Amino acid sequence: MDVVRDVLDKSVIDRNGREMGRVDGILIEQQPNQPVHLTAVLIGPAALGDRLHPAVGRVVRRIEKSFGVDEDRPARIAFADIDAIETRIRLRLTIGETAVAAVEQRLRSWLVRLPGSR
Amino acid sequence: MKKLFNLALGIVTSIGGFVEVGSISTSVQAGAEFGFSLLWAIAAASLFLAALAEMAGRVAAVSKRSIAAAVRERFGFHFQVIPLGAEVMIDTLLLTAELGGAAIAVKMLTGIGFQWWVLPLGLVAWLVLWFGNFTVIENGVGLLGIVTLSFVVAAWRLHPDMGPIARGFVPSVPHHDLTRYAFLVVSIVGATVSPYLLNFYASGAIEEKWTPQDLWINRLTAWCGMGFGSTVAMGCLVTAAIVFGPQHLKVDTYEQAAQMFVPVYGRWAVALFALSLGIGCFGAAVEIALNAGYALGQAFGWTWGIDKERRDVSRFVAAFSLMLLLAVAIAINGFDPLRVTLISVALTVVIMPLVVLPFLVLMNEEEYVGRHTSGPLGNGLLATLTVLGALMAIVVIPLEIFGG
Repeated sequence: MDVVRDVLDKSVIDRNGREMGRVDGILIEQQPNQPVHLTAVLIGPAALGDRLHPAVGRVVRRIEKSFGVDEDRPARIAFADIDAIETRIRLRLTIGETAVAAVEQRLRSWLVRLPGSR
Repeated sequence: MKKLFNLALGIVTSIGGFVEVGSISTSVQAGAEFGFSLLWAIAAASLFLAALAEMAGRVAAVSKRSIAAAVRERFGFHFQVIPLGAEVMIDTLLLTAELGGAAIAVKMLTGIGFQWWVLPLGLVAWLVLWFGNFTVIENGVGLLGIVTLSFVVAAWRLHPDMGPIARGFVPSVPHHDLTRYAFLVVSIVGATVSPYLLNFYASGAIEEKWTPQDLWINRLTAWCGMGFGSTVAMGCLVTAAIVFGPQHLKVDTYEQAAQMFVPVYGRWAVALFALSLGIGCFGAAVEIALNAGYALGQAFGWTWGIDKERRDVSRFVAAFSLMLLLAVAIAINGFDPLRVTLISVALTVVIMPLVVLPFLVLMNEEEYVGRHTSGPLGNGLLATLTVLGALMAIVVIPLEIFGG
């Protein structure tokens, strides 16, 4: 498997088919004298920011912190929780078991106060 | 039968959706300063736009991915950040210019200063997006946009000689102001081949759940819609050429441009011009704001869609709302809408190679278009556009300085 081609930037769905975002970063580990090991995929704008430049990642984290949505973010999905890698990446988890939806939920709590939010 | 109806509707709405602040201003200036001789630029730019739209629709119908999503997956975020960042910037500027254009149109009708209308128009645009669904927005914008056919009617009723018009479709070197001529060519291309139109078109295909069985609808909508749409821009150029051409006038304001309707529509001229400009610009404003939500949502992997319950797509809603707010804030602070239009058009040209190049790859990969990969014609067109785009990207800034 080519991690960059097959995993990075792919769309992620949870066990029930709900959209969770995209793979914004990957976490790899290497022990001495062992092959590289893919530990987790990261979902969240901070991980995306880190990829551009650590300073961008820090700015994103600061913004998330100021809105109080920085807990457990970017969400770290253990590689063992990945069910299938196809055109999309399907997880064994549900979206609620991660902090992926924190921003969406915060915005929703504001939006539902508007008339016609259906 | 329903499919045929939808097809007709799709084509009609493309005509209405084609005309906006960029195409009106560049066509008027081209006609006023160079007669019919820039008609070929509109034709060529529309050809490229139609080809790209058809391809964007094909990727969407087959792979269920819009352009922004496909580019992120195929090329990665490092590549995408540049065209996406540029598109958001262009969308903001263009949205500002469209709101300004619509506000100037209301000013022409009411006589009350245009800055007073920016906020109300921005609010109405937001309400349309908040309460509307895709069918209402696309068809509403498109059907109201039929009023822009007044440009074609005006050109027709001025009884132009067909000979010189036909010659306008052959590229030529002007006898005067070569820099200005080149500047207008590049501006026409930039105003026509807008990235927002392509992503909006592809997103619409996903909103309407197109499948590979709908590829013929896609082909007809893209080619006929954009083709007919370009006749409006051409009508605008021809009218401006006949009315302003003999005076070699440089049109700097929309109020000036409105005068081109006087010989045809008499006392209704200003009202009809204002209505065409206002509806064209307002419709484009709604679509551009919506496209900002589409492009960001697709690139970052948010749940998106104007037909979904607003609470389920809150980041998408926040994106188009913030975009509108930003554009209103810029517009209200006073600016020259024509100037902003030209800057966003120039920026569009600068990033054109980065917008077109991904098509060349995506259209040849089965993962994105199945067995409907591009033939030699499509690939040739894309390669030509990439090379031309790169050349134009190099010359656009000097042209903007010396020819604008």
